[in-house]
Amino acid sequence: MGVFILTELKENNKNKSRLRRRRSGFIILFLAPTMAAFCIFYLYPIITVFITSFCKWDYTNITAPEFFGFADMWNNYDYIFHTYPYFWEALRNSAVWALLGVVLQIPIATAIALALSRKVKGVKIIRNIYIIPNMVSTAAMGIIFLQLYNPSYGIINPVIRIFKKEFTDNILLLKGPAFIAMTAAYIFFTGTTTLMILGNIMAVPEEIREAAMLDGASGLRQDRYVTIPMIKGTLRTVSVLAATSGFLLYNEVYFLTKGAAGTYSISYVIRELAITSPRTQFGRANSVAVVQILAGMIIIAAVNLLYGVSFKKKNNRGGRAS
Amino acid sequence: MKKRTVSILMAAVLCVAALTGCGNSGVETGAETDVTNEADADTDTEEAAVQEEASGDKEVLEFYHGYYQDESEWAAAQAMRDIYDAFAAAHADGNVIFKPIAVENRDEIVSAQVAGGNFPDIVDLGNAGASLAAIQQGLIYDLKPYIDENGLQDAVGINYTQHDVDGHIYLVHDQIESRGIWYNADILEKAGVSADSLTDWESFGEAMAKIRGLNDGSYGYIAGQGSSKMVNSILASTEAGREMLESELTVDIINSEEFAEAFKTVAKLDQENGSEHTTEDNGNLMAEFNTNGTVGVLFNGVWNASGIDESLADAIEPALFPGNVAIASAGGGLAIANGMSEEKTALALEFIQYMTSAEVQEKIFTDVQANPCNVTVDLNALAESSGNSITMKLAEACSQVNSADIVVIDMNYSWGADVNSAIINALMECAVSGTDIDARFEQLQKELIALIG
Repeated sequence: MGVFILTELKENNKNKSRLRRRRSGFIILFLAPTMAAFCIFYLYPIITVFITSFCKWDYTNITAPEFFGFADMWNNYDYIFHTYPYFWEALRNSAVWALLGVVLQIPIATAIALALSRKVKGVKIIRNIYIIPNMVSTAAMGIIFLQLYNPSYGIINPVIRIFKKEFTDNILLLKGPAFIAMTAAYIFFTGTTTLMILGNIMAVPEEIREAAMLDGASGLRQDRYVTIPMIKGTLRTVSVLAATSGFLLYNEVYFLTKGAAGTYSISYVIRELAITSPRTQFGRANSVAVVQILAGMIIIAAVNLLYGVSFKKKNNRGGRAS
Repeated sequence: MKKRTVSILMAAVLCVAALTGCGNSGVETGAETDVTNEADADTDTEEAAVQEEASGDKEVLEFYHGYYQDESEWAAAQAMRDIYDAFAAAHADGNVIFKPIAVENRDEIVSAQVAGGNFPDIVDLGNAGASLAAIQQGLIYDLKPYIDENGLQDAVGINYTQHDVDGHIYLVHDQIESRGIWYNADILEKAGVSADSLTDWESFGEAMAKIRGLNDGSYGYIAGQGSSKMVNSILASTEAGREMLESELTVDIINSEEFAEAFKTVAKLDQENGSEHTTEDNGNLMAEFNTNGTVGVLFNGVWNASGIDESLADAIEPALFPGNVAIASAGGGLAIANGMSEEKTALALEFIQYMTSAEVQEKIFTDVQANPCNVTVDLNALAESSGNSITMKLAEACSQVNSADIVVIDMNYSWGADVNSAIINALMECAVSGTDIDARFEQLQKELIALIG
């Protein structure tokens, strides 16, 4: 009997490990194409960008980037940080756009998602109508806003003239207002973000809402103390997405100002160096790209930290209250 | 068991899809897709070429160009494609198939190929300018010996001098980017000024002030992109300035009095003209000149003739920049890859000869409405025989440019697009009322010194 049980146990173990191996095999098999694509299309370019940022790489040696040598390896960075006229302006602008993505775009998207989640008559039609402008490409949006800001026939100057009668200038050429105008051209288009948040709001169990209602929390109080904490994971994700897309802003700069009036962005600067410049300055462009990648990582970390701290505090407060 | 089979099948499908995707990548395929999707420019000749290519019997000479637009969108694009197709049809029976490929992303295709040490068989770079990287790597065929041996100097016209790089000619543009000004005679008359006032910059400024004084919604000129051409032409008015325009941008040029004078003169005129009439792309406001008739002067090329609305055809006239200056640039043009087979190279060279021949150049003038490079073509006679008022206006504009006292290159080509863009941005910012022009110029000097560093 004992031998029989031992054999059965051994057989079971064998089956389990075979199953485990098979499962691992399938996981590896299914992950392999994605991993291969990741390595070819993301990892390899990132490593190349990093390495060539320490190389002389322009029209004189386009097919053979040449390492500056350890003594001069920071040449491209030195040029970007100390000589190139638009780098700091671009970095500042891109960082502000990233920040605005988190502190402006996400609250707007959340507010709209909360409004659209209400069960009122006609809300489905409104949802669809709201999504339509978000299907227009950012390039087309850039052109549309170019018309809106046109001083001769756009709608912005007449509005400004209500407050300032003599105003005739082109808003896209005024330092400060041009930045605001450019921000307004993209920041309110939160369709995808809103949909992601809305989907998560819909997934909040009805019992929890009902329980909150029994506790006297309804409407905005329910949103604040129940719904928002329950979708914090999604909020964190969309915040990272909003911050990075703000940081990578390009189309709006290209279509609205081409960098005039202090509106350069990091992505636009990379194109200027690599494509617009007749000297095809790939090495320098890649040093800006390295800064862009590092800054992007910092942004992601900062957003995660922000959400971690913010919700931890709320949980602690909630704990004390209960 | 079923699950296992399904899983294996799915994994296999994934792998096949990934491999198929990889197998289809490549510039050529991408370019051809562009043709199909964007331009609908496929012809029977191309199809035949593809079939021949597939059979592997013949070599294919691929020719990339940027005339992808539909005829309804831009008739000139169809006219250019017809010219290319006629050449392809004439050589359909040869050992090498000529295959024109219309692409929207020509510049990106060329950049990507050059970065990989390759060059398209033939490409029309349009006004994109020569790729220094391609020249530096020896990827482009030197056309000068062929031009000299076949006596094509007149056929290639201004290309012969402007595209000369240390005794080599890598590009030939079949049409010349020729710029003067266009003015609305009715608006000038209403403002009490004559076209003669556009012959020097001081009276030009006074004329613009009078137009603004009409207070009927009319304004002087479209500034921004056009303003950089004004700087160009003011620089051209002195011997020293002309030398500067023809050389690479240096610190000495940036700090020169001529450059400062040209920039500040234009910046002052732009500020008086108003930032509301300023754009980095003339196209944004062009309708105000060509259709609405509310602008006194437009700084645009001769090709603007085809954009003039019929109702304004009698009022709009071409002229030169003040000081009898014209801007004429070969820009980019046709370039042939180095290192192709003898037969392919021979056909490519024949194509250059064909594109600069009088027969094709006449079509470029009458059908494409551009200034041909061949100096032997009698534009006025062609215009008269066409009886078309727009063609006659184009002929007048081209003749003025071709016979101007001073003809200079566009600084966009000699100094680079990044420099030109920085100058345009600085001018646009100066157009805002109250901007300190001197301070902005000092900032521009620093920017330019950094850009050429």
